[in-house]
Amino acid sequence: MKTTMNHPHGRMRFWIAFGAGSVALALVPFLTSSEYVLRIVTVVLFWVGMAGCWNMMSGYTGYIDFGPVVYFGLGSYATAIAMTKYGVPFFPAVVSAGVAAAAIAVPMGLTTLRLKGAYFAIATFAFAETMKQVALEFDRTFRVSFFEGSHGITLPISGLDNTFFFYCFFAATFAVMLIHYGIEHSKFGYGLKAIHEAETAAEIAGVNTTGIKLRAYVTSAFFLGIFGGMEAYWITYITPADVFNVHKTVQMVIMTLLGGMGTFFGPLVGASFLTVLSEILGTAFVEYYLIMVGGIIIVIVLIMPKGIVGSIKDWKGIRFA
Amino acid sequence: MAILECSNLSMYFGALTAVEMVSFGLNEGEILGMIGPNGAGKTTLFNCMVGVYRPTKGNVYLDGLDITGMKPHRICRLGLAKTSQIMEPFRAMTVFENVLVGALHGGRMKMAQAREESARIIELVGLADQAEKPSAAISVPARRRLELARALATGARALLLDENMAGLNPHEIDQALELLRKIRSSGRSLIVVEHIMRAVMGISDRIVVLNYGAKIAEGVPQDVVNDPQVIEAYLGEKRPSVVA
Repeated sequence: MKTTMNHPHGRMRFWIAFGAGSVALALVPFLTSSEYVLRIVTVVLFWVGMAGCWNMMSGYTGYIDFGPVVYFGLGSYATAIAMTKYGVPFFPAVVSAGVAAAAIAVPMGLTTLRLKGAYFAIATFAFAETMKQVALEFDRTFRVSFFEGSHGITLPISGLDNTFFFYCFFAATFAVMLIHYGIEHSKFGYGLKAIHEAETAAEIAGVNTTGIKLRAYVTSAFFLGIFGGMEAYWITYITPADVFNVHKTVQMVIMTLLGGMGTFFGPLVGASFLTVLSEILGTAFVEYYLIMVGGIIIVIVLIMPKGIVGSIKDWKGIRFA
Repeated sequence: MAILECSNLSMYFGALTAVEMVSFGLNEGEILGMIGPNGAGKTTLFNCMVGVYRPTKGNVYLDGLDITGMKPHRICRLGLAKTSQIMEPFRAMTVFENVLVGALHGGRMKMAQAREESARIIELVGLADQAEKPSAAISVPARRRLELARALATGARALLLDENMAGLNPHEIDQALELLRKIRSSGRSLIVVEHIMRAVMGISDRIVVLNYGAKIAEGVPQDVVNDPQVIEAYLGEKRPSVVA
């Protein structure tokens, strides 16, 4: 029997499993006294959320966004500037960072989402690099003190422990996962998947392709902005080279590809797997671990071209995963 | 009354004239056949009508409303849908989900209602036993019917069928014709592009003939097949015998 989510049984089983997993995760700070474990779990949550942001747009539509980090960086800067220059408290600052990222994503999406394939990837990549340069050079060019150029900005030291940040990332990642669930079972989600399969056919069947792509893009940007803001407050120090680092984009892409593009569990599995793997190998083989991680990624991609979740889904004939 | 009307529709690709000053109307509840040799501009004409291309000149009216140059999804929601000659199912989705996309987006229905409507339409086109199969895994005749089902699910009152019977055997063609009659009797109007003469002659109330992008004939099937211009377009010009 296939576990189709259309069956009430499957849906119930999913909610029980998902609910139990979330509750167990939420209890982690109480179950462990090790700051190390708590930090690792927080980093995993962070990457699951980040990969999820990429997946909800690029994974489902097949539009390969190579500049999602731009919204992460903008969120970091918005939070840092709001907190240091205007004295805004953390939570309002982070939410407004998300809103700011989403607001910038609207005109960017409207222009870049008309491009297809490599052109879209290049345009988004270029936008991210451009914003990095803007953050670097803005102050020097206009003789102001805003982005603080390459010095970066130091945020107010929170004095809050890891548990606080654990719950911050937990909440944001949980929201990203709920949106994934919504995508799997909604009009919006069927629109995204139809775009992935055959965009012109989708349009003729009444799918407002530009509108739907834009919605996914802006939602993704909103959460990336929030993740950026929270990470900035956690790390307490940001520079353009750091928060706009293309490496973050690459991580998001690889984690999603590894887990399975356009699947519910893809970013969850991919990000958890890669983060934990790098951590374990990184402590055991300090010098060679990157080579090993690279090798393992190549092997998985060769065996499972649709990612871990995507390939299992195909083999087992499961519709929802 | 014409539900759909083209007036002086022209489409140029650079120097190439794909459609030239074509005017015709589709009446309420009518099946209009459209024939013409390969490259006559039938598919381009359809694409201009549903908004995939913006016509270079001329206008398209749906229920009297000028829809020229609107986006395809808007035109679809206003009630004009098309099936494609190159079948484009959403391959990763099941047959049912394919139809569901049409009902949800084109028909702007809520999920529960869209599910009911999709099930009803899948039953109508005879795909009920394959509804849960992945659409990539069904036969060509079934895919043709899936294209039709997806278009029907949008609730469109006028349908453009671009060679929806290509690749079918005679028995399947009879079934397809039966289905088209059923669809018409449910109050929809159809334009049918087809190469299979038996099919198009048997089902059409009127026929429009295109050649080199222009309309060369229009009328009831019997008149059209006897039209010298049509015969020429299909069989070639009668050459005067060479005198030695």
